[in-house]
Amino acid sequence: MAEMLSTAVSALRAFRRQLDVTSHNIANASTPGYSRQRVDMTTREPQLMGNGYVGSGVQVTGIARYYDDLLSMQLRDSTSAYSRLEIYSSKAAVLNNLFADSSTGLSASLQRFLNAVQGVANEPSSSAARQVMLSEAQSLTQRLQTYDARLNELDAEINARLKGEVADISAAAENIAQLNEKIAAALATTGQPPNDLLDERDRQLSVLSQHVKVSVVKQDDGAWNVFIGNGQSLVLGNQAARLVTYEDPFGSGRLGVAYQSASGAIAPIDAAISGGSLGGIMDFRREMLDPARNQLGQIAIGIASAANLQHHKGVDLTGAMGGDLFGIGEAVVQGKEGNGGSGSVTVSRTDLGALTPYDYVLEYTGSAWSLRRADTGEAVPMTGSGTAGAPFQAAGLSIVTTGYAPAAGDQFMIRPTAGAIEKFSVLISDPTKIAAAAPIIASASGTNSGTGTITAGEVLDASDPATLRSTVNIVFTSPTTYSIDGGVTNLPYTPGGAIEVNGWRVRIDGVPATGDTFTVKSNVGGVGDNRNALALSDMLGQRLLSGGAESLNDAVTRFVGEIGASSNRANVSAEAQRIMREDAAAAMDGVSGVNLDEEAANILRFQQAYQAAAQIIAISQTLFDTLLAATRR
Amino acid sequence: MSYRISTGRMHDAAIAQVLGRQSALSRTQSQIASGLRVQTPADDPVAATRILELERMRSQLVQFGKNADAAINRLSIAEQAMADLTGLLQRVHQLAVQANNGAMDDTSLRSIATELKTRVQELQDIANRRDAGGEYLFAGFSTQTQPFVRTGGGVTYTGDQGVRTLQISPTQRIVDGFSGAHVFLDIPEGNGTFAVEVGVHAGTASIDTGQVVDSAAWNAAPLPHQYTIRFTDPDLDGTADTWEVLDGNGDPLLDGDGNPVTGTYVAGSAIEFNGIQVKVSGSPAVGDTFQIRPAGRESLFDTLDAMIAALDAPANTPESRARLGTALNQALAQLAQGMDHVINVRAEIGARLSTLDSAETMRADLDFELSGNLSELRDLDYAEAISRMNQQLMGLQAAQVAYSRIAQLSLFDYL
Repeated sequence: MAEMLSTAVSALRAFRRQLDVTSHNIANASTPGYSRQRVDMTTREPQLMGNGYVGSGVQVTGIARYYDDLLSMQLRDSTSAYSRLEIYSSKAAVLNNLFADSSTGLSASLQRFLNAVQGVANEPSSSAARQVMLSEAQSLTQRLQTYDARLNELDAEINARLKGEVADISAAAENIAQLNEKIAAALATTGQPPNDLLDERDRQLSVLSQHVKVSVVKQDDGAWNVFIGNGQSLVLGNQAARLVTYEDPFGSGRLGVAYQSASGAIAPIDAAISGGSLGGIMDFRREMLDPARNQLGQIAIGIASAANLQHHKGVDLTGAMGGDLFGIGEAVVQGKEGNGGSGSVTVSRTDLGALTPYDYVLEYTGSAWSLRRADTGEAVPMTGSGTAGAPFQAAGLSIVTTGYAPAAGDQFMIRPTAGAIEKFSVLISDPTKIAAAAPIIASASGTNSGTGTITAGEVLDASDPATLRSTVNIVFTSPTTYSIDGGVTNLPYTPGGAIEVNGWRVRIDGVPATGDTFTVKSNVGGVGDNRNALALSDMLGQRLLSGGAESLNDAVTRFVGEIGASSNRANVSAEAQRIMREDAAAAMDGVSGVNLDEEAANILRFQQAYQAAAQIIAISQTLFDTLLAATRR
Repeated sequence: MSYRISTGRMHDAAIAQVLGRQSALSRTQSQIASGLRVQTPADDPVAATRILELERMRSQLVQFGKNADAAINRLSIAEQAMADLTGLLQRVHQLAVQANNGAMDDTSLRSIATELKTRVQELQDIANRRDAGGEYLFAGFSTQTQPFVRTGGGVTYTGDQGVRTLQISPTQRIVDGFSGAHVFLDIPEGNGTFAVEVGVHAGTASIDTGQVVDSAAWNAAPLPHQYTIRFTDPDLDGTADTWEVLDGNGDPLLDGDGNPVTGTYVAGSAIEFNGIQVKVSGSPAVGDTFQIRPAGRESLFDTLDAMIAALDAPANTPESRARLGTALNQALAQLAQGMDHVINVRAEIGARLSTLDSAETMRADLDFELSGNLSELRDLDYAEAISRMNQQLMGLQAAQVAYSRIAQLSLFDYL
């Protein structure tokens, strides 16, 4: 009877423990990261009673979590991947929406400007048409600058976000290190798992993997070591390292991510970071934001250079040669912090067609200068010698290094297009200054007896306006030969052939008679002349970019299309990854999550067992009473 | 095998379902509200770039349409001016014929001259016409400067020979006018090959404007094609009964055999050399000359001014009448050339207007095609969208109902 009583008491205590744990499970049914717990029970050691082993009840060996290492690792990995894509696609959507509107977007602004140029070609002397062209040029400028400002804001947002990311990561790492210490101590002293501390550490790891992809290595003492990137240890036992931001050494003001070890030394690890919101934001910056800014700059440079080039070949309403129509920022050169040399390297854009949307690093190796792409590190061959007379030529740039006394290892960041839009502006405010007319006009003499006709003339080179606009007579010395103003004589005449002198070109066709004279002279009073406006419109429609493969319109369309495609790709991937993450979470939950119906059943079960054990005590009482009653007499 | 599911997951999953359906529904709703299938480039990047391209092309077409309208306006105004000019030249032609009938006295001739003077003024007004924008039509590029100005020596052209080209379709350009030099100055002189001038004129001879009878011979003749026909009197009887031809240097012109070109003068018969033929009538005085030179260009103003000067000069002697006759012959020839020239200009205007017409048809066709493509790419299929919305609504309601039913179930209710 003593055995029976003691067995019943062991059962009472065990089922009481079961009910405790079930209550704890129910209480934490909605606690994030909670793993349901169970009471592990085993039989007590039986006693040999001569005729056999008699069981002596139940004992609680411990309280454990329902937990699966593999599932929890899968969940962490898929969380990192999803966080990366989620932030990437949300930032991509910002860009996508920025360039979304087809009626007010860049393509439409550019076309409205081109239409306005055609409008001036239509009515070159109308100040209204000229004003419209200037207004459209202004609105194109504003459009470009709005985009550029928004892209800069995004860059600044990313800088701020990076600071937050590294702070969150460092804090989580610190928490994990502390939890490692507590868990190791608890295990060492009791030998029992501190379940709720383990859950808490898992929660911290989950937070960490939202920010960056981590890998976990378990230690024998129960501590977990956490690594990021290429194996940089973020947590080692109870020691946590930190991530910090550092400023770009080329002085662009943008931040990078560095690893600060326990000793305080800082090492940039931008390239090694992957996954999580930190990886996502850095990938977005590298893959979408930088290319977008550079491409937009390239388009702006294309517009300004082409328009300026042609505008210089015309004359305005007052008869003066055209100046620059658009202002544009120069190529940016930034020396690296700690460069040993002195002086300056100058970079200018020389070839619009060869210009790329990439940034470059120029490095002095100790004996020579070399150029490489900043993003891929691919070497870029340069021609020339770097002097002002024979500058280095590469990627549409001309680089003069003779103004700089270099030390070995000195580096310069060259951004050919990034700073262009900031200084993009319309330099003309007076509508009369639009050079819609050509500076020269050709005419046939009224006394010509032949049927020769001459084209009005076009300008090829306006670098010497005085010579360009000087009067030149083309006199036919016979129907098949002509002389040009006393200089060259008796040139053979080809009907319809080009005659190029002083930077202009005319064509004479038909049958001129001997003595027929054609004159090319300065176009004075030609306010109705639209040749240069038409040429301007032509010029802006030509394939000027990417080595003559792309027109400005093509470039704008491709630009918007690429952003849309990237954004679309990010959305699709994020959605796919979200489902994978959901699946991983469901699998994890299937093991660790609390099901209230199950707990209700458990309550019933343990309550009944408890009641049965209590009945055993009652019965043992009855047995005892029976025995007492039997022996009382 | 069935999976264990936690209570929290069951709620989360159900809520996620409902939220997902709401988000899809909201997207459909926004498509229906805007009527656009592609709302941002990310919705369909390929279609989005095509949409940009199509919209750009349509916007360009609108501008080309405006350009074409401006060209049509200017050409129509030029056509009106040319119609007025034709009427004017016909009237002047009538007056020249009237004056040339030989029976007119000085007074009648002067009154014709008076009418001609107002006609010259009218001609200048036509030449100085402006378009709707206030620009001179016939000034070349110098559209703000009055192109035809009368100075002491006649009407001079201050414009230039520029003509404006406009883009009227992606591939077509058209010239929207004519320079004043072309319309009013570039009239071929004389018969178009050579011109005849009166030199020494003491007799009563008059000369026609001549014609080319053998253009190969004319072209083969050495330059500069300047000749003087002189009447001589080799038999010294006091009448000019022989003609000879001198070349540009004043030396006798020699024929292919090296003999001087000469002949007996018979009034009204042809004098022919080097492939050309002129007819002289009347009685030249000994030493009278007519000069022949290659044709240049003559302005309509000069033609009319010359007529007025000829009519204003006294015509009361046989000699002066002969001079008047020669002048009027030349003027009539010149007017005929002028009318031909104006007809050519009008034909050119007609051709350009017809080009503009077909360009407009082309633009309209292209625009129709572009907007069709655009709509196909961008616009929403409402039938599809609305049926999709109904489906999504039903799905959302079902998800909500299912959730509310399942969420109510709990074993605790039965404890």
